[in-house]
Amino acid sequence: MFDFPRVLHRLYLFEEEEVLYAADIEKARVIEISAVIADILKLAEEQKSEEIVQTLKTSYPEDEILEAFERFAEFEKEGLLFNRGESLRGTFAIKNKRRKLLVVIPNITTDSFFDIETLYAGTNMALSYMFEHLTKYVDLHFAGSQNRKLADNVCEVDISVADFGRLSRKLNETYFGILTLHRDHETWLLPLYQHKELPPILVQCHAPRGHGGNALNSMLRHYAAMRDFDAFTAPSDYVAEFYSNYVWDPSFFNTLRNGVDSALFCPMEKETAKKELAEHVGDDRIVTTPTVGYLSRVQSEKGASVYLKLAELNPHLLFLIAGPHFGRYQLRELPDNLVYAGFHPREKLPMVYNAFDVYCFLSMSGEETFGLTVLEAMACGVPPIVPNFDGVPSVVGDAGLIADAENFDQDIGTLVSYPCPIDFSEKINRLLSDDGMRQTLSQKARKRALSLTWDKTAQRIIQLFESLHKKRQLVSPNKLLNAFTPDIEVSNPKQHHLKYKSILLSMNKHYQRSLMGDTLYSQRVEDGLVITLLRNHTAREVEALLAEFIEDEAEAKTILQRVRGLIHATA
Amino acid sequence: MTLHAHYRLNRHRKFEQERRKYVADLETNDIVHVNDVEWEILSRYGTQTHYQIVEALKEEYKVESIFDGIERLERLGQQGSLLSVIDGAAKRDTDSWKQKDGKPKLLVPFHFTNEKTSLDYTTNLNRYQFLTHLTQFADLETLTFSKAGEEDSKAQDFQGYGNIRIRDIETEESSAFGPAWYAMNGYDGILLLSQFLTDDFLYYQLPNVPIVHCIEDVQKLQGSTLETLLNISALQNSNDTLIVRSSWVKERLTEYGVPGEGVSVIPNGINVGEPIDKPLAKQYTATLFEKPMFSQQPVVGLISGFEPNFGAELVSAFAHANPHLAIFVYDSFLAEYYKNPPDNVVIFSANDEETRSVLPIFFQALDIVCFPAIPGTPLSLVLEGMAYGTPCVAMTKYGLPPEVEGAGTVVKSEWRGGGNFRVPMPELSNVVNQWLKPSHTRAECETAAKRLAQKFTWEKVAQETVRSIEEGHRKPSVNVSNRQRTLLPSVFCRRYNPGTGDTTSNVYRIGTNKYDCLETALVEMLAEHHTPAEVKTVFKHFRRETSAS
Repeated sequence: MFDFPRVLHRLYLFEEEEVLYAADIEKARVIEISAVIADILKLAEEQKSEEIVQTLKTSYPEDEILEAFERFAEFEKEGLLFNRGESLRGTFAIKNKRRKLLVVIPNITTDSFFDIETLYAGTNMALSYMFEHLTKYVDLHFAGSQNRKLADNVCEVDISVADFGRLSRKLNETYFGILTLHRDHETWLLPLYQHKELPPILVQCHAPRGHGGNALNSMLRHYAAMRDFDAFTAPSDYVAEFYSNYVWDPSFFNTLRNGVDSALFCPMEKETAKKELAEHVGDDRIVTTPTVGYLSRVQSEKGASVYLKLAELNPHLLFLIAGPHFGRYQLRELPDNLVYAGFHPREKLPMVYNAFDVYCFLSMSGEETFGLTVLEAMACGVPPIVPNFDGVPSVVGDAGLIADAENFDQDIGTLVSYPCPIDFSEKINRLLSDDGMRQTLSQKARKRALSLTWDKTAQRIIQLFESLHKKRQLVSPNKLLNAFTPDIEVSNPKQHHLKYKSILLSMNKHYQRSLMGDTLYSQRVEDGLVITLLRNHTAREVEALLAEFIEDEAEAKTILQRVRGLIHATA
Repeated sequence: MTLHAHYRLNRHRKFEQERRKYVADLETNDIVHVNDVEWEILSRYGTQTHYQIVEALKEEYKVESIFDGIERLERLGQQGSLLSVIDGAAKRDTDSWKQKDGKPKLLVPFHFTNEKTSLDYTTNLNRYQFLTHLTQFADLETLTFSKAGEEDSKAQDFQGYGNIRIRDIETEESSAFGPAWYAMNGYDGILLLSQFLTDDFLYYQLPNVPIVHCIEDVQKLQGSTLETLLNISALQNSNDTLIVRSSWVKERLTEYGVPGEGVSVIPNGINVGEPIDKPLAKQYTATLFEKPMFSQQPVVGLISGFEPNFGAELVSAFAHANPHLAIFVYDSFLAEYYKNPPDNVVIFSANDEETRSVLPIFFQALDIVCFPAIPGTPLSLVLEGMAYGTPCVAMTKYGLPPEVEGAGTVVKSEWRGGGNFRVPMPELSNVVNQWLKPSHTRAECETAAKRLAQKFTWEKVAQETVRSIEEGHRKPSVNVSNRQRTLLPSVFCRRYNPGTGDTTSNVYRIGTNKYDCLETALVEMLAEHHTPAEVKTVFKHFRRETSAS
């Protein structure tokens, strides 16, 4: 039997043409209900199930009441009528003036972000830190399937993406912004941009290339569909610039650098760290031999095969791998100087990093945009060697060595680059043989890591949302009217082949005079096309179309700029 | 007339809770949070026009917020809430389109003063005739604008145009509505008479009101008239009609790719005076112009439509080739500027009541009427010249115009460019001289020509004009916001090809999550805001092919 009492959504019961309805305001849905359901709803928050049966059985057969209970179970499953989980009414109370961000990351268990030990993917780890620090400035509400408090200033709210459109006005009143993560094949986010009333949406991008162009194409679709007050974040300047190469408006790509927990990841006495790791692994060579470190999933994309080659090329050095598992490489004949150091909980990672003399980052994946482990190693004072590829060199700056890498013009599978083993090998040996250089880079690495904090990341997000709100205020509705007509050159009566023009009307679509003087202004068809497009499409969509229709990019950009100026001026 | 919106309001229930207003859509089961003005709009939507809604609410709310409210509700309709798009054409109550007295109420937003001074006397006179006759079949109303408390000074401009009601709009400084706004209020149709397409262009943006636009054959406006005609054709919706005054204008438009469906040929009525004897008319003409040969020699009338320089050249050539003929030229330009024509030529133009009153006498002096069937040649004058029993020689590439069928012959001519024909002078002279001789054919043509007076009456013009409005009402309106909307929104975007590293432009359909044909999506997008002719214009400009257009 369906259990009562229950906390109900805000409901409005009414009758229309002899049919009863319950309007579920929180879900923005109307449900046709029977008389018995209506009566049960009136008792639902006060009485237990048995009491309800007792109360109503004089009016309805018991079977009908029990049948209604079954129907309630179905409603609850659909998220209707009843509050699922805890009551969070206080969280939404008007007196609660703290800004709220709605976080939408489907297909990831929200809890995992608050149990960092369960995370190992760099992206999720970064999100976890970012969320933790964001709570200093805003309340975080994760869109989910129930209402519950997850941590201080963090809760999961029972709201489905499918309801966003209907609830757009309420979401806009409640939330300062929507924060989400870009994924290649998502289909839920694109339609949201169609809802003008939703608050600004900030989309974090972590995978600029690879996947047979899927990542880039998805990004290009989002870029086109986004409203003027939505934006992407990219984890490094490189990624932001990479995207910008494909579009006309780079302002949609904002660098949002990851941070590092410099208190946890800090330099230790190297000998102590080496001994501890040697003890853990059972290999004394960690103490006696110069060690190169690799901390990542052991996969081709992460450069595992290259790392094996480096070990083969340098039998005098010890190559350590720390990661969740050894993957397919455990089935191979491995060089003796390659040691799997196993998986370590997060609090042990500083010891692992400190046991490395140099940190080697070899990822060649199109998903690699920042290299969080590089920053963690740097925070521990371990100088990194990274490939000259994607965003990682910008993280390292002058606090490490940048090795050659062949960057592919075109994606091949999930790979977009190949680090040069010879150059890596040369740089590893140089760094390990030059104590002075290693010492200098170690200090620089720590100093640089200290400048990148998660708090800064969180502040940057708030700042970005603030700037998106300002952009929203500047959005001008396009009320212009125009027409396309043939163009007869009166001065050339012999002209028989028509040219074409667009005519801008002085009246806007609200029948008001938006321009002085004559009522018709001739202009180019291109300008007219942009005016028409901008009535229901974004400037980024216009950009895509103009890129196809007008050969001269500079001219096309000018046209778009000119028409947007006109729209702003006549709004 | 009851204007039905392009959307219908779904069955719904409005309610308030915790000081917020909501609407429950009982058809889609959505609940929409609305603001005060949207709440008010919903009480009126579907039963009132946008005009009526705005006028009703503008005292209480800012006009912008009312429009914003209407737009939000219609946007919700597109997304499937509260409103439903009415499939296909907008429904119109065809039985109730006329008022109780059976007359349609037409708006005639005519810039009388501006146009009057720009057009020639004959065109203005024709307009007077047209409007006065039209009031027998329709209630006409025009708009004037005056500041509050001030009497509108323009009202006097409408005197003499028959029984046209004047609707004076008091404009305040804050009111920025253009005239087209006021045309939304309860008219069965709009009759546009402007030759210059100034404000009139704006009326084509109105939803659902059939427009009849009359364009005259004004010699002075030759080049710009063609431009005006092409512009109107581009802007016409399927229930609008472009009325031209002669078949040759329609044929000329066809050469520019204008489809014939939206163009009707309704020649103006003709004014025929009391017939007098031809010798007397010739004598009178000769005396008045002090050219005795007009009473002694055959008189050829040339109702010109040529551009001035070419007209002067042709008149001169024809006169020199035929010194034995007296040539009466009707040309408003040449009458003013061609000061020393050959001796056997007189040039005339009716510029006022007095000169117009003598024109029938001159016309009765003619033995043959010659005209180039080109835009700019006033058909009504050609017909008036023939109506006393005078056959015609038409210079044209299309064959004898149907308006003068059985009453003359043709000299085939080819376009020389603009408003001119390349006239084969020897052939023209030969045909004219042949037709001046008495013959059975000429006698038959004279009889046919006499019938023209009965055929082209102002009553007919008025009736056919009203019929065009009526037909416009019956036709489905493929108008601005009721064109078939696409089910799935499109996103125009770039697409990266990992095989080549290049990007191309594409369109992505939200919903199917697939890329689609760019051109098809572009046609769909353009068709939401523009007529099919305009859509074609865009594609022609970019030299793009699309089957969808």
